[in-house]
Amino acid sequence: MHDSSIVIETRNITKRFKDVLAVDSLSMKVRKGEIYGFLGPNGAGKSTTIKMIMGLFHPTSGEAFINGKLVNGGGMELRRDVGFLPERISFYDNLTPIQTLNFFCELRDVDKSVVPSLLRDVGLEGAANRKVGTFSKGMAQLLGLAQSMIGTPSIYVLDEPTGGLDARWVKAVRDKLRTLNEQGATIIFSSHILSEVQALCHRVAIIDNGRLVAEDTIDNISGGLHIRPRLWIQSTGLNEKTLSWIREIEGVEDVAAKGDSMTITCDARVRLRVMITMQEGGLVIKDFRTVEPTLEEAFVKLLSEEGES
Amino acid sequence: MSLNPRSVYIIAKKEFADNVRSRWIVALIAIFLTLTIASAFMAGGGSVGEMDLTVGVLMTISSMLVPIIAIMLGYATISGEAESGALSVVLACPVRRSEVLLGKFLGLGSVICFSILVGFGVSGMIIAGTTGHAQWGGYVAFILLTMLLGLLYVSLSMCFSALLKRRVTSLGAGVVTFFWGMIIGMIMMGLFMATGGSMNDLISGDTSSVPDWFWFSVFLSPQDGNQMAAMLAFGQTEFMGFEFDVPWITLSSLAFAQLLWTVVPLMLAYWWFQKRDV
Repeated sequence: MHDSSIVIETRNITKRFKDVLAVDSLSMKVRKGEIYGFLGPNGAGKSTTIKMIMGLFHPTSGEAFINGKLVNGGGMELRRDVGFLPERISFYDNLTPIQTLNFFCELRDVDKSVVPSLLRDVGLEGAANRKVGTFSKGMAQLLGLAQSMIGTPSIYVLDEPTGGLDARWVKAVRDKLRTLNEQGATIIFSSHILSEVQALCHRVAIIDNGRLVAEDTIDNISGGLHIRPRLWIQSTGLNEKTLSWIREIEGVEDVAAKGDSMTITCDARVRLRVMITMQEGGLVIKDFRTVEPTLEEAFVKLLSEEGES
Repeated sequence: MSLNPRSVYIIAKKEFADNVRSRWIVALIAIFLTLTIASAFMAGGGSVGEMDLTVGVLMTISSMLVPIIAIMLGYATISGEAESGALSVVLACPVRRSEVLLGKFLGLGSVICFSILVGFGVSGMIIAGTTGHAQWGGYVAFILLTMLLGLLYVSLSMCFSALLKRRVTSLGAGVVTFFWGMIIGMIMMGLFMATGGSMNDLISGDTSSVPDWFWFSVFLSPQDGNQMAAMLAFGQTEFMGFEFDVPWITLSSLAFAQLLWTVVPLMLAYWWFQKRDV
């Protein structure tokens, strides 16, 4: 019985190219309504997995499912509800963006009247009659995103959606993904940019060397690795002597100083005592805040653990 | 295997429209028209010649040109688009691979058939109008056979395009395919001579000493088979200077062989395309 809250699933999916094991028995579940980040260094197997989900690559073994139905190289009807952006987007060079989107509207059986607004959405209305062959990588990428939105699918599978875009459009695309998600779309996207995944995703899969290293919320991944929020303090009188004295405070694990500020790794219960002890010792605290753990730390730690095992 | 005709039509329409936009079709029509009129003048020795003679001249060029054009149209249609990434966006739509393949075949096939029909058709009317009479039966058969030759080589080039990973290698396969049709007749001739055959028997028209397998080359080479079929359509039994009288070489057996040459590669293309990672 299929759990209807699972939109995309892979079970032990594996892809071997000759002597390279690109994806190694990877199992993941994307839940309805979430933004799911697919994170890993270049060559980790992200695109290969995505292509197997889309039925473009045939898995060597294992299965991919969309809405509980098997894809594995087929799944024609399943794709009707899926917007897709491949990693290396390429269109037919001799078509204009309008002709390109018209063609995909026809293939998806969607009325062509949506084309002008799609082009406006990605800021290509000014280039509507240029040949796609003259487009920069970023423009082709934006057209690819417009293409993925044809027919307002409820699932988006996007391979590096912000790749090749300039900063202004990176933000616009992130905002767009958020809006689509708020309107109810489930989004799975791959990225090698940690901050992007952290800013957008509800849950993250970290993949390296074709294997799933972790799949969870960012908080849980960080928590499971014992990466905790840290305390940042700006204070007077920070020097070797006072720092070593702070390190002696019970419960403090690490102190990293930089100029007139420092970052203390300690248990949440100890924070207040650290600051009181500092005040009592004559140091004047000018500012302080807690620093949330970043995915980057989790990532580095996960991959290094992965390397050791 | 189920097919949605609508999807096939959309893909075919796009392929055809691409070739209209790039003015390929106009260029092809102009080439076919010019060639036919030039052949007519050559056949008529300065004035417009009769249709059968014109076709005799025209065929020596068209049986090379049409395969080249068909290979140019088809060789990159899968490997090239897979390499650039354009195909993955198409295949991520709710379409079957069989629909994409058939749509491409029909689209490219109609590009070549349409330009042959218009180019040869218009020039045929000019010849008929100038000479005052025409052998339309043979000429129409020649047009149909040339279209079939075009479809045949579109199918062959798409077959390699579906199998091979890269655009360059499928172009290479196209070149090999083209020369296969050109040289197989010569190879058979070489084998015939090497096994004690005599050129005189061929020229004299005494084919009793010529083994059956020698004539089989017209089934192995789509170009030779197509030329011979066109000659038979005009009631001629002379081929490359040789008389032939082989009961199993008929217009219908040749046309059937040409059909097989078209359908079998297309089926192979389907098989390879289904298995392919795009």
